[in-house]
Amino acid sequence: MTATSSATPGWLLDAEVGLCPCGCIGRRRKGSYVTKTLNRAANVMHQAIFAEDTAAQPGLLQRLDPRVKVVTLFGLLVAVSLVRNVSMLLVAYFATLLLARASRLSVVFFVKRVWLFVPIFTGIVVLPATLNLITNGDIVVPLGTWFGHEVGLTSQGLTSAALIVTRVATSISLVVLLTLTTSWTRLLAALRSLFVPRMFILVLGMAYRYLFHLLSSVVDMYTARRARTVSDEGSVGSGRRFVAASAGALFGRTHALAEEVHMAMVSRGYTGDARALSAFRVQLLDIAWVIGVAAAAVLLIGIDRGF
Amino acid sequence: MASEALLEVTGLAYAYLGRFPALDDVTLAVDRGERVALLGANGCGKSTLLKILDGLLFPDKGSYRAFAADVTEDSLEDEQFNRGFRSRIGFVFQNSDAQVFSPTVREEIAFGPLTQGMEQTAVAARVADTLGMLDIAELADRAPYQLSGGEKKRVAIASVLVMNPEVLLFDEPTAALDPRTQQWLIELIIELNGAGKTIVLATHDLDSLELLADRCAVFSEGHTIVASGSPREVLADRDLLLAVNLIHDHSHHHGGTIHVHPHTADHHATD
Repeated sequence: MTATSSATPGWLLDAEVGLCPCGCIGRRRKGSYVTKTLNRAANVMHQAIFAEDTAAQPGLLQRLDPRVKVVTLFGLLVAVSLVRNVSMLLVAYFATLLLARASRLSVVFFVKRVWLFVPIFTGIVVLPATLNLITNGDIVVPLGTWFGHEVGLTSQGLTSAALIVTRVATSISLVVLLTLTTSWTRLLAALRSLFVPRMFILVLGMAYRYLFHLLSSVVDMYTARRARTVSDEGSVGSGRRFVAASAGALFGRTHALAEEVHMAMVSRGYTGDARALSAFRVQLLDIAWVIGVAAAAVLLIGIDRGF
Repeated sequence: MASEALLEVTGLAYAYLGRFPALDDVTLAVDRGERVALLGANGCGKSTLLKILDGLLFPDKGSYRAFAADVTEDSLEDEQFNRGFRSRIGFVFQNSDAQVFSPTVREEIAFGPLTQGMEQTAVAARVADTLGMLDIAELADRAPYQLSGGEKKRVAIASVLVMNPEVLLFDEPTAALDPRTQQWLIELIIELNGAGKTIVLATHDLDSLELLADRCAVFSEGHTIVASGSPREVLADRDLLLAVNLIHDHSHHHGGTIHVHPHTADHHATD
């Protein structure tokens, strides 16, 4: 007698042809929205890990104390927001490109990262303001007539649109420079040693950490489902049901994990007050950087205002 | 008068949500310097007992004494007692993901000593020593989510060892580790025990049992301890292991180890 014959149903012992018995080839289908969303989720992880790589390069900004970096880049953001001249903003923008180069970032990647999304959306927002219907002024690009009125782009409208777009692009470049050249953990530590409450930082740090954990859980769950999906991916409805079910399952997992994490913290003496190692030291380069940034900001605003 | 056991639980009962029993009338004493294995099938209450021993859960019935003092929810609210108790018992969780919660490995290892109020420079030195001892210095500035399972386990152990506890609790220490890491961990446990640490571990790894423990407490699926003895005695008692569902009907005991032969038609032909 075999060990399997008593408990294992007979069909499990027979080989079955998984494909259609006639051997025909099925239709190809594009991935569902669930697949796309999950691929995006996986991409988020990839990008964050990539940011850690660039933060580890031996470039100019990477060598600075993160506290100094946060404060000076914040100062530059304020300076940029005070500039009212497009040419000066362009100078500031090219300076960020030089900084990216000095920090061993790929300039193409850096430019793409900045220009691909937000300025385009900003552009869409400011586009109507370039028309003479919104901003009165001298028409430089006539577009035709509308109910007997001449319609076109005005020089004043174009100037203000360019001002907003370059200002946004420069500001985002500064923020992207900060995030690409500082690892998340050092950034959090810098914020902690500056002015952000400790509990807030602790929660933020753990949230980031468990975001990864949850994202990989989601990807695992979906992969497991796909591995068992033999036939058609199904309708949008089935995808929606899967998302709802996995959201519920994830909630349960998150809760259990949170409880375990809390226990692990309590086990090591946590009673509500977190402390952390502070390992930052301001060096000569940091002082030079602060002086350089302050001079650049004063010069930028000074020339802009015509002093 | 005989000296009091280091850890002692008497008549413990615990049920999750008051409905799902995890422990029922459990009595166990652990002496200083012992290596005790809690042996049992999945879901028999081993992990729950470890959590009670670490003062993370509190029994519905029964008592727990550690280091000659009662451990209760109330007594752990005393700041001084809490600090003393937490620094003397370390717990390595089964799920390293739960235990490794800080942004970097270095901060993870520093978490315990810092919450215990140790000075920054002393903590930094201890962390460096521990990183070196467990051979994970190159991971110091990595984020926990970038680590492999074995690396995470090392970090979890480092984060407990850095506090230099007298008692180490391990929940399924060898589970889901590759054979090399398993062997490393077994050797580490033996070394720590040799240095005077008391070890309590929950396991169902029968192959490593003789290496891991001097004494076993065997849990039944009724959530109580049904037998106690040396690993050799326990492993030789086939009826006991069968009764507590630790081995399959098809396993055989040869010279201190348990083998499982699949009972297929071929195998039985030669049996």
